[in-house]
Amino acid sequence: MFKLLYSREFRQKAVPYLLIAPVLIYYALFWLYPVIQCFAGSFRDVNNKLTLYNYAFIFKDPTFYKALFNTAFIVVFSVTLEFLAAFGLALIINIKFKGSGIFLFIAMIPMALPAVAVGAIWSSGFATYGWLNSFLYYLGFIEKTAKIPFLAGGNVASMILIIIIDAWQVVPFMMIILLAGMQGLDEEAKEAGYIFGGTKFTVLRKITIPLLKPTITTALILRIISAIQIWLIIVMIYGFQRLPVLLEELVYYVDESHSMEFFRIGIAYSVIISIFVSIAAVIYLKVTGAFGKEAEETA
Amino acid sequence: MNRSVKRGAIRAARMTTLYIMVIGVAMIILFPIFFLVSLSLMSGYESYYEWPNPLIPAFSAKYKLEKSDEGYHLSIYNKAEKRYERFGPEKFGTTAEDLEKISVFVKRQGNSTLKTERLKEEISRLVDRDEVFFSLSKNLLANYKVFFQVTRDAVPSVIRSIYTALTTIAISLIIGGMAGYAFARYIFKGRNLLKLSVLFVRMFPGVAIAIPMVIILGRIGLYDQPLGLSLIYSVTQISLTIWITASIFMAIPVELEEAALIFGTTKFGAFWHVTIPLALPGLAACAMYSFIGSWNEVIQAVVLTQFNPTFPVVVYKVLVGAGAQVNLITAGSIAQAFPAVLFTLLIRKYILRMWGGVRV
Amino acid sequence: MKKLLSILLILMVSSTVAVFAVGQYEEGVGKRTVVFDSRLWTPPHEQEYVINEVLVPFGRENNCIVSFSIIDDDTLLKRAKLQKETNNVTTDLVIAYCARFNDWVKGGYIEDLTSYVRSWTDRSFAPGINSMAVINGRQYFIPIASDVYLLCANKKALKYLPAGADVQDLTWEEFADWAVAMARGEGEGKVAVTGVPEKALIYQVGGIALSYGAGFPDVSSSGAVKAWEIMVKMRNAFTPTVMTYDSLVAPMKRGEAWLTWAHVANVGEIYGSNPAQYVIAPVPGGPAGKGSIAGTQGFAIPKGSPNKDLAVKLIEYITRPGMMLKIAKGAGGWIPPVSEAVAMLGDTTQDEVIKKAIDVMDHGKLSFIPPAYTGGGNWGKIKHVYDDIANKFLESGRVDTGYLRTMQNKIEGYK
Repeated sequence: MFKLLYSREFRQKAVPYLLIAPVLIYYALFWLYPVIQCFAGSFRDVNNKLTLYNYAFIFKDPTFYKALFNTAFIVVFSVTLEFLAAFGLALIINIKFKGSGIFLFIAMIPMALPAVAVGAIWSSGFATYGWLNSFLYYLGFIEKTAKIPFLAGGNVASMILIIIIDAWQVVPFMMIILLAGMQGLDEEAKEAGYIFGGTKFTVLRKITIPLLKPTITTALILRIISAIQIWLIIVMIYGFQRLPVLLEELVYYVDESHSMEFFRIGIAYSVIISIFVSIAAVIYLKVTGAFGKEAEETA
Repeated sequence: MNRSVKRGAIRAARMTTLYIMVIGVAMIILFPIFFLVSLSLMSGYESYYEWPNPLIPAFSAKYKLEKSDEGYHLSIYNKAEKRYERFGPEKFGTTAEDLEKISVFVKRQGNSTLKTERLKEEISRLVDRDEVFFSLSKNLLANYKVFFQVTRDAVPSVIRSIYTALTTIAISLIIGGMAGYAFARYIFKGRNLLKLSVLFVRMFPGVAIAIPMVIILGRIGLYDQPLGLSLIYSVTQISLTIWITASIFMAIPVELEEAALIFGTTKFGAFWHVTIPLALPGLAACAMYSFIGSWNEVIQAVVLTQFNPTFPVVVYKVLVGAGAQVNLITAGSIAQAFPAVLFTLLIRKYILRMWGGVRV
Repeated sequence: MKKLLSILLILMVSSTVAVFAVGQYEEGVGKRTVVFDSRLWTPPHEQEYVINEVLVPFGRENNCIVSFSIIDDDTLLKRAKLQKETNNVTTDLVIAYCARFNDWVKGGYIEDLTSYVRSWTDRSFAPGINSMAVINGRQYFIPIASDVYLLCANKKALKYLPAGADVQDLTWEEFADWAVAMARGEGEGKVAVTGVPEKALIYQVGGIALSYGAGFPDVSSSGAVKAWEIMVKMRNAFTPTVMTYDSLVAPMKRGEAWLTWAHVANVGEIYGSNPAQYVIAPVPGGPAGKGSIAGTQGFAIPKGSPNKDLAVKLIEYITRPGMMLKIAKGAGGWIPPVSEAVAMLGDTTQDEVIKKAIDVMDHGKLSFIPPAYTGGGNWGKIKHVYDDIANKFLESGRVDTGYLRTMQNKIEGYK
């Protein structure tokens, strides 16, 4: 027994598990139990009897499908837009130029703002009598009597507003992850690329992006997950159930109403959402090849 | 010769485009923040009763005092309408109560000090004429002053918040960083599954389990304690940290560590002296996310604290009733944002540390 | 990196020391602390007034400290649940809103206060208001501030007022004509309601319905149909962004909206920001009178409160008629639920808002938020019914009585 524990081979094998153990213990203590409770509770009714009512309620509710569509729309467009912007910015900022430090600092400010500030900025900005219209008026784009009612738009217009606000806040978040990855990159590989006659674009496509792939995968997966969970800014500007998305519905059922029935529906929502997110994440990771065969992965 | 001139010109053009782009992006980012700051320096009257909203808060305001058969009337100059508009009660008399009312109103809505003596003095000038004009300087920081007057225990709550944020960083960096390193450097059974399940923590909507999680914390005696809060905040931060650090460690060539081993350092020594410095930008970024996440969190903190609130909770308690006083809300939220912005300023250096080549 | 690490380390150590030092210091004061969480007196200057003029003197008299915090209804309930389940109740006193009263009682979070109220003989709580605070025959809550609805108009709107109409005594038909004329004259709607779901629309429409003899909550009786017809008549008179309003204060202050009927505290805030610019009046009326929903806020004491004796004393102290009068004048915006205080206030107040509110309270056709409908989050669902109907009718432009009947059944189902 002792011999086995001290054998080099065993130690080699045990190291990664030992390194991961604290995380697992931590999650088992604080996270796992509530989540299991949540899963179990979603199949029970107010009197704790087994039921599928909560799920039936959701799948019969037209708002759910609206929320599903809106969430998908926001995720697809915001993630694409934000990734392209963040990647471009990271490439720019990764070139040494005077004032890049200041620029990075400026880019990080929106991320550091509390939700109440972001809400105040945009709800007073997009109000018909708000500062954005004032600014357009000063620039001469609009007449005093023809203010743009930004918030009066339809479903899609509202989502575009939300995407813009969200992008303003999280593009820096993605940019920083990408930037951190780019700085660890081997400059020699790039130089070699140029020496062998690569143009800027081919070096980017053939060398930088492949080398950066783990970072890009991480940045995107984290972003997709949080894009699915956008809700606070929507509620701050439109209130509950005006522009339904999945997580906003969840919060509405869990938090806004203090009925057991609604709470159960809310946690059923949480199960549905987590399943959707998992499917999206697994597909994404499979497609990008982030999860190759375990044995083949380079150490 | 000619060629190098041409190359110089191309370079100059490229740099110019770069700067135009950078400045453009910076403006887009700063533009709403400019209004945030500007609003926080305005009076209630400026922020609601002048449209188009002033771009820059005024330093003083012009007032007009009139006399009629019904009493006295106060007006303020509206810069947008370019005329004097009635300000405060429709009319008032010269009783002490009325004068005091005007003084309080000017302070609350105009952010200026109009002492009752001054008001009496202006009224006395009305003997031989129907109206007098005067100007009062505006207290630019008045909203902040109101905010901090109502805020109780600001200092201890800020300290608690700093403590909570730093413990969150420590917990998530140590526990998460270790796991991230394992995922990046070792091949082992169940690796993908484990990595995915760690991510699942972030996928599962936290709102649904907030209350049960808080109850667990209460049961182990960590209710109303900063440490309890950081344990809760770390749950989501750890999984973020694991993924970011794993991708960062993966991008660092393992050969560098091996080279250090050849020169006789221990495995830990190689990790500490070679890998950590290389991974610093990523670690700094993780620390920053943990800090910001923990610093700004309020929904769970409100439930979980009673005698020991964090700073965002204190801010929330002041602002929850100020829904339609955007000037006050902006002031409070800037006060809250300030330390987080300061922290990003501090940590920014480390994110950008390795510019211009790797220093080992 | 060493620099960063050492900075962080120093900060961490010092903040740890400070956190514990502060904890020690606060415990060392030696006076009892009454923890008082309220969803009333939220505006910063009201907070300041209540603390300095009411709570500090109380603390001096009773050798204790009152730790007063503003917390919203949802969070209050969550915290009550947490404290109850972990058996660690530290809150001594709360103020909640009447639509939530039933949730507090059903959760088993609060004490029955019936015996205390009976012993206070110098004050009588207005019976209608008090009916909301009594659940299952027991006085769980003690009313502290009641509310009604008032009309609030920007003076710029007055030029569109129909000829012969008196803004202080309007009918809903005149109100609708006014709104429509204004929209025509200005080129855009200028009337505001809370378009965001589950806010105040139920009270706004409910008030109109009361004026035509409907009950509450009632969406389908002939009086209620009349109310929906008035809403539909005004469908183009609402501001373009009305569906995003969760409160009426900001749009009215900005001048985006010129005309509304709103909760007395909101009207107080609008009016208070520049009295010269607004006219306030009792809500318009109909054949049955000036209909308004009345609500109240109430004190409650959590079960297991560590300083229950002081909490009871504090309730008694604040609901004294003289104190109610003082708070109504100083913090403003709300009507005292104590009849003695209202009588004193009616004669002496200079405050336009309170005057008009008392007028509605005394002479209006009032209905209260019925406790039978508010248990288990049902009130939110009923509010939603009103929002859905309004959405549908304002979009289609016609009142569908069949739909109203199904919706009424839905409401009855929540009872």
